[in-house]
Amino acid sequence: MISTPVTIINKLGLHARAATRLVNCASGFEAEVNVVHGTRVVNAKSIMGVLTLAASKGTDLAIEAHGPDENDAVAAVVTLINERFGEDE
Amino acid sequence: MTLALTGHGVARGIAIGRCHVAVRNELEIGEYRIAADDVDSEIQRLRDAVAAARQQLSDLSGRMDQSVAVPASEILQTHILMLDDSTIRQNTEDRIRGELCNAEWALQSQLEEVLFEFLNMEDEYIRTRGEDIAQVVRLIQGKLTEEHGATHFEHIPDRLADTLVIASDLTPGELATLHERGVAGIVTEHGGPHSHAAIMAASLGVPAVLGVRRAQTLLREGETLILDGGKGLVYASPDAIIRRHYHEVQAETRRFRLALEAIKDLPTQSLDGVAVHLMVNAERENEFRQAVQVCAEGVGLYRTEFLFLHGAPPDEETQFAEYGTAVRAMENKPVTIRTLDLGADKMPGLHELAEPVRNANPALGLRAVRLSLRDAEHFKIQLRAILRASALGPVRCMVPMVTSTEEIAKVRSLVDETRDELARKGQAFDPDMPLGCMIEVPAAALALGDFAPYLDFISVGTNDLLQYTLAADRVDEQVAHLYDMQHPGVIRLLRFIFREASALNLPASVCGEVAGDRRYTRLLLALGLRDFSMFPGRLLEVKQVILNTDIPKATTALTHWLNNPSARDSSLLEALDASQH
Repeated sequence: MISTPVTIINKLGLHARAATRLVNCASGFEAEVNVVHGTRVVNAKSIMGVLTLAASKGTDLAIEAHGPDENDAVAAVVTLINERFGEDE
Repeated sequence: MTLALTGHGVARGIAIGRCHVAVRNELEIGEYRIAADDVDSEIQRLRDAVAAARQQLSDLSGRMDQSVAVPASEILQTHILMLDDSTIRQNTEDRIRGELCNAEWALQSQLEEVLFEFLNMEDEYIRTRGEDIAQVVRLIQGKLTEEHGATHFEHIPDRLADTLVIASDLTPGELATLHERGVAGIVTEHGGPHSHAAIMAASLGVPAVLGVRRAQTLLREGETLILDGGKGLVYASPDAIIRRHYHEVQAETRRFRLALEAIKDLPTQSLDGVAVHLMVNAERENEFRQAVQVCAEGVGLYRTEFLFLHGAPPDEETQFAEYGTAVRAMENKPVTIRTLDLGADKMPGLHELAEPVRNANPALGLRAVRLSLRDAEHFKIQLRAILRASALGPVRCMVPMVTSTEEIAKVRSLVDETRDELARKGQAFDPDMPLGCMIEVPAAALALGDFAPYLDFISVGTNDLLQYTLAADRVDEQVAHLYDMQHPGVIRLLRFIFREASALNLPASVCGEVAGDRRYTRLLLALGLRDFSMFPGRLLEVKQVILNTDIPKATTALTHWLNNPSARDSSLLEALDASQH
């Protein structure tokens, strides 16, 4: 099990299209991947779960993974968030 | 008398046409019990319906022009993910099994439970996503009741050219379908500027006004409507003055498009006869097609990050295949491949290289060539793939964010090493593949002379160069006003770069956003830029400005503006435009 803190930095936050990219990214790994916001833990492979986090710009989250490719899974999701989901701002 | 209705203008453009009021089929969702023996077949029926819905959405997404309709296609992807989400699918199956009820009803109860949760969310944006879930459930229910049409409307013509569709609201799937049938414009009663319908319409280029109250009652089937998507206006029975005005606006837009089309094949040169080279920033196949269509002279920036954002870093063969696709698509015009430009210290597979530093500024940290040089063996995988692609057509290799002479010297020696290795293995490559670097760091710009012996060309990344020069992040609203391309310091720095590059005989291009913004074209020409690289959709607009610019006049105006701070009675861009008359 590995966990890495990350902050949402894109202007629009974890909106539907950003959430879609996050789910697609996490789904590419075998490991179980979770997004943690305070006391809430949601499955990073579930669009509904990720959407209900309502994470806006500036929100501190943690990405957790458990499984054979857990390091790569966390790294990929964290990179996606740090790269603003590929958005310009 | 003209009736004018207002709403949210969410997708610009003028539409003139016939009104069609689209009436939605109401689905009757009945509840009935099923026998325990029938549970499996009922679940299968649900799965088939989900599969049919998924197929429909992915077909629509697949047929979209991905060069322009990325947001639209992503919204359909969001709906596809929702279809497959366990909150909907697994829980509905559990309901069928537990309550022994039909699939339609199980879906309905499940929807109500999910919506209840969503409607209690504090965040307004998330509350409105409840609508998306309802639309997805409605789509599955439609499939269950064997509704075969692509929309839930009673009757919608197959051809919608010159037709404006008036609906109460539109799902992303419906909007995509109307677009495929050539709809001229869209009016809905519900939906705001941030709704998915708004994003879809803007992305697909369908003029649209949303949130027009009672539109379905006030607008009559068959009457002529004029829709102004930019202003958020819908006119019914427009009088002669309004009609003439909008016909003129439409004609003007058409003339502008035709004018751009007409200059496509002309050589790109300024009024005073200076040749200018226009390239594109592209990495997808449709962007290459678009580049060829607008007669671009090559790809000035091919980013490779997309290959590294999913899972483990791609191996040499995967990278070679991707780069090869680009080279072939560009039909013997040069493709400038930029080595990995990822920020953050969290690269998949490479993260062990970096010790995360909490609160450090990632823009000033271990990124781009700094990260690549941290592990030369990994970096050489990319260099090998790029070199091999150079055997298929002209390729230039470009390194991002170079700061010191040592870095560029190191890259040069790695390229040489890689070349020798390939030669020993008998693999083909271009021995003269040009190597260049991005100029983004102000210190690198000022040390260009030191870099020159190792370089064949440079490309100025204005986005980052401005950020570092002005110490302002344009995404941070509180300081965004400082991020100013017309700052005299920025202008002087850019002028120094192009003069120095010219003195050193180094071809210099700009691949930042300003290169594709026609408001800045004259300024860049006056600064000495002759190679532009931009989003393909902008190329002809920029070309049109170049064809109409006298560079010496613009240069004189620029010098005057720079040297006389007290005489700046207009903005620099205005002064440059005025210099042309």
